[in-house]
Amino acid sequence: MSGFFVQNVWMIPCLPLAGALIAAVGARRLRESSHVPVVAGIVLAFLVSLGALFSANPEATTVVARWLSISNLEVPIEFRVDGLTTMMLSMVTFVSSLVAIFAAGYMAGDPGYPRFFALIGLFVFSMTGLVLSNNYMLTYVFWEGVGVCSYLLIGYWHTRPAAAAAAMKAFLVNRIGDFGFAIAIFWLWAVVPGHDLSYGNILSESTLGALPEAARVGIPLLLFWAATAKSAQIPLYVWLPDAMEGPTPVSALIHAATMVTAGVYLIARSMPLIALAPGVQVLIAVTGCATALLSASIALTQNDLKRVMAYSTVSQLGYMFMALGAGVSDVAQLAVVAAMFHLFTHAFFKALLFLASGSVMHAMGDVIDMRRFGGLRHRLPFTHLTFAVGGLALAGIFPLAGFFSKDEILLALKSASHSAAGLGWGWVYALIYWVALLTAFMTAFYTARAYFMTFWGPEKLPSPDDPEAPRPEPGPGHGHGDALPHGAGQDENHGHDHGHDHVGQKSPPIMTFPLLILAGCAILAGILFGPTHLFEHHLHATLGFELLGHGEHGFDLATALISTIAGLLGIGLAYRFYASESPVPGQLATRFRPLYEASLNKFSVDEVYDWVVVKTTKALAVVCEFLDIYLVDQLVIGIAKLPRKLGKDLLAGYQNGLIQFYAAVSALGVAVLLFILLLF
Amino acid sequence: MIDVFTLDLLRNYLLAGAALFILGMLGFLSRRNLIVMFLSAEMMLQGTALTLVAFGRYHGNLTGQVFTIVILTVAACEASIALALIVILYNQRSSLDVTLWQDIREEGVPATPQMQEEAEAEPIEPVPGPESYPILTPAGIEPAHPVQPWLERRK
Amino acid sequence: MSTGQVILATLVVLLGAGGSYLLLPHRHGATRSRNVHAAGAVLVSLGLLGFLTFWSPPSPFLAGLFFYLFSIGALVGGLLTVTSRNPIYSALWFASVVLSTAGLFLLAGAQFLAAGTVIVYAGAIIVTFLFVIMLAQMEGKALYDRAARAPASATFTCFLLFWCLLYILGPLHPQQAPETSEGHAQQFAEKSLVRGRNLADFYRLPENHPGRAVLAHSQRPTSALRDASGAEKPDVAGLGEALYSDHLVTVELAGTLLFVALIAAVAITGPKRPVRPGEPAGDAALKT
Repeated sequence: MSGFFVQNVWMIPCLPLAGALIAAVGARRLRESSHVPVVAGIVLAFLVSLGALFSANPEATTVVARWLSISNLEVPIEFRVDGLTTMMLSMVTFVSSLVAIFAAGYMAGDPGYPRFFALIGLFVFSMTGLVLSNNYMLTYVFWEGVGVCSYLLIGYWHTRPAAAAAAMKAFLVNRIGDFGFAIAIFWLWAVVPGHDLSYGNILSESTLGALPEAARVGIPLLLFWAATAKSAQIPLYVWLPDAMEGPTPVSALIHAATMVTAGVYLIARSMPLIALAPGVQVLIAVTGCATALLSASIALTQNDLKRVMAYSTVSQLGYMFMALGAGVSDVAQLAVVAAMFHLFTHAFFKALLFLASGSVMHAMGDVIDMRRFGGLRHRLPFTHLTFAVGGLALAGIFPLAGFFSKDEILLALKSASHSAAGLGWGWVYALIYWVALLTAFMTAFYTARAYFMTFWGPEKLPSPDDPEAPRPEPGPGHGHGDALPHGAGQDENHGHDHGHDHVGQKSPPIMTFPLLILAGCAILAGILFGPTHLFEHHLHATLGFELLGHGEHGFDLATALISTIAGLLGIGLAYRFYASESPVPGQLATRFRPLYEASLNKFSVDEVYDWVVVKTTKALAVVCEFLDIYLVDQLVIGIAKLPRKLGKDLLAGYQNGLIQFYAAVSALGVAVLLFILLLF
Repeated sequence: MIDVFTLDLLRNYLLAGAALFILGMLGFLSRRNLIVMFLSAEMMLQGTALTLVAFGRYHGNLTGQVFTIVILTVAACEASIALALIVILYNQRSSLDVTLWQDIREEGVPATPQMQEEAEAEPIEPVPGPESYPILTPAGIEPAHPVQPWLERRK
Repeated sequence: MSTGQVILATLVVLLGAGGSYLLLPHRHGATRSRNVHAAGAVLVSLGLLGFLTFWSPPSPFLAGLFFYLFSIGALVGGLLTVTSRNPIYSALWFASVVLSTAGLFLLAGAQFLAAGTVIVYAGAIIVTFLFVIMLAQMEGKALYDRAARAPASATFTCFLLFWCLLYILGPLHPQQAPETSEGHAQQFAEKSLVRGRNLADFYRLPENHPGRAVLAHSQRPTSALRDASGAEKPDVAGLGEALYSDHLVTVELAGTLLFVALIAAVAITGPKRPVRPGEPAGDAALKT
């Protein structure tokens, strides 16, 4: 039976792809039913991945087709079905199917309905392929695939300039990371025996031991660079908040649960390779920590619900990288398990939070500015309940999922601070540990703030008289004219012209059903898989897992207590400030105006990038244009004009119609030729 | 008598033929009268005929002469047709000047003028210079003259 | 070619070119004074003298004399043809050129050709030219006769070519004329017969080489100057034999060519339609 699932694991990517193709080709016929093939494909893929889940085996590979077979490069389409892969597969397909069902209700009435679902199917194909692939080159292909799908989905409403710009920004920033990935692949190809880029060949003891010095540091660094772009870490996180221009299901699926986790997956998969360079691991941990702190501090002041969630995602991804970076010496296995467990649980509760925000937005007529609505807990009961569950999970409150996963990360950090003391890095990890706790506090605070601002207090629905309501726009969109928009924190409607006729109506069952399921997962996933060590044992069946250092790391009560206290403190503070109409937040904002402004403007990172990168590139483009017009074009035009010049200006004067002249010229030619031949 | 036609004898003929050819080419390229141009072309043919005959003699066979006969034939045909054409051209413009016919020139290239101003003004014959002036006696001196009776003067 | 000969050739060419340029009509038709003409004539003469040094006259005195006579006559006549202002003078000088070349043909043993040249050229062609000149240019000398087209360039081109030809023809080494004993002469004559073959490397050419066929054709006994016994054939007889056996098709084609040319000449000038009695003899019936 297990053999069957391993043999036919190709069905997992291909079923959603088939659904996408049916939706794309039959768009005219299917129209409002375009979601059916795609949802069916994803659900079937989920069932197959459940089967694969129970057949996970670190050595189980299956070759589906032959792709590249050039002299020194052999890349078959080969899938590996081990613990890490199957865990990711089941999570991805599960969340994707729920989001797809939600989107069927959310996107109803949108003119591009079939296109949306085709893209969703294509995305699931790419993501599952990425996770299944057994070869770095193949992973790169799917890596690009998810990038493209992300671009297409963020820019789904491509007629809106803000959305188009955000899509381009996401793609371009991802491209910067892909460049690092490509260089890493080239380097790997050069140093690996047999030029074989498959995981089995690279993540083996013999290969890793034989890597040259520079490659040991360089390749992990480059892989981390790629992960930075895809998983939105400093300095390449700037695309994720702007990606909220896309529809909410897209945000839930891609920018919470699946695509952004691809970077974490890549690092986790390559952990035996990265463990060779403890310095790089410290860098990973520090980057994750800085990112978590930075984005949490930005999320404190944002007024846009989805923006808060986006920065929250960045922050939680920072947590995962902190965990991965803590995998020094004997903490390695624990680190991988912690990071992947957090990824697993985060997928559920973050998708839940996004979908709930979408539900709120849907009910509020596409208004997402939290200041314009409030007290929705009676109007939207299911949404309210599920959002609360998700928020508690995010804040890390026992016994929800976030508590266990966050706790494992903190445990890993603490163990690393002990283990890395021998290398001199101990104090770094200790510092990171305390910053992680601080970030946990901030996480709880902003999550609860969002919750209270939205669902607590007197009921208020958005009206055009709100001070934050957008004025009627004179021209097309927010048109900055720049390729990378600044994406101001105060963003108004993300409108798709949905019509405002259902303002205040609660969501239909097709939208609440996935919310409930996800809420159930957010509650149970942690306690079912964490303390029971089920997750850990499943991950043991991963390729190369035995190469990682491991030690005994028991449950640390102190860490658990401190993190819980931090979480509760955050929630409590938010309750005091936001549950009632308290003037304190406003006073605090005025007292610490510079800090507040900085946080609200995302610390002007986008502006800095604009000045440093974008304007420089534009200047370079102007220079190139100048060279092109005055050098290259003139050269080409000159060459084009040459025959005419030769003919008309130079030689036409010789055609004066006198045959004696013609004869004389011929004779002269003969004479000169003969003269030259004779003498030279 | 067996006469021997050595290489240097051949060379003589070749040089003569070359010289004739060159002179003919000179005339063809520089004269403006259609008839004279054509005469020069015929002179070129004479030069080549001379060369051919010399080579034929040198190689000891008659092929050179045969070829020259053919050239003669061709020259005759060519002359007749050329003259017919010249007659036609003359009928068009009443002149044998070759400069009249330059309509095949490129567009935009100005026509070469036929006459130059100073050429019009020049007399056809060279004007005799001071050497031809009559020598007059200086004034006041009686010229030497034999006194002739008026009857004889009339003769 | 030795340096001396090169210098001599250059000198000859320069003198000839200078003289010719002075003798040719002015490019704008301006009158040239007598002095200029005289200077030109002097230069050309000097050039001619230099040119003569390239020649090696045949050993029998009369042959040599006549050779020089005819050659100089041809060259001088040619120059005068080209430089005469009056086209009628040009035609007449051309007649002298033709007569001189006929003389040269005679010296080369092509008697029929000599006669033929005189008859055809001097008798027919030049006469026709004169007729046309008389018809077309009754005033004798026109403005365009006094003007030349770019005499400098023409002279330069022609004499450059002449220099090249001199350069080629100069170093042909003169052979020693053998003793006038019969045996040696016979041998030499034999050698001259086979000279063509040797010169063309006839026997060394491969079987299917097209040149071999042509040369074989020209080495046939019907084309040879001497018959099988070694006696020299009379020129007309030999020529007739060669023409009508080896070059029969050529003869026929030549005849056809003449015929075609005749028709062409008539067609070009456009004959007038004959006026039949009763028809109006107007220009409308003309076909120009």
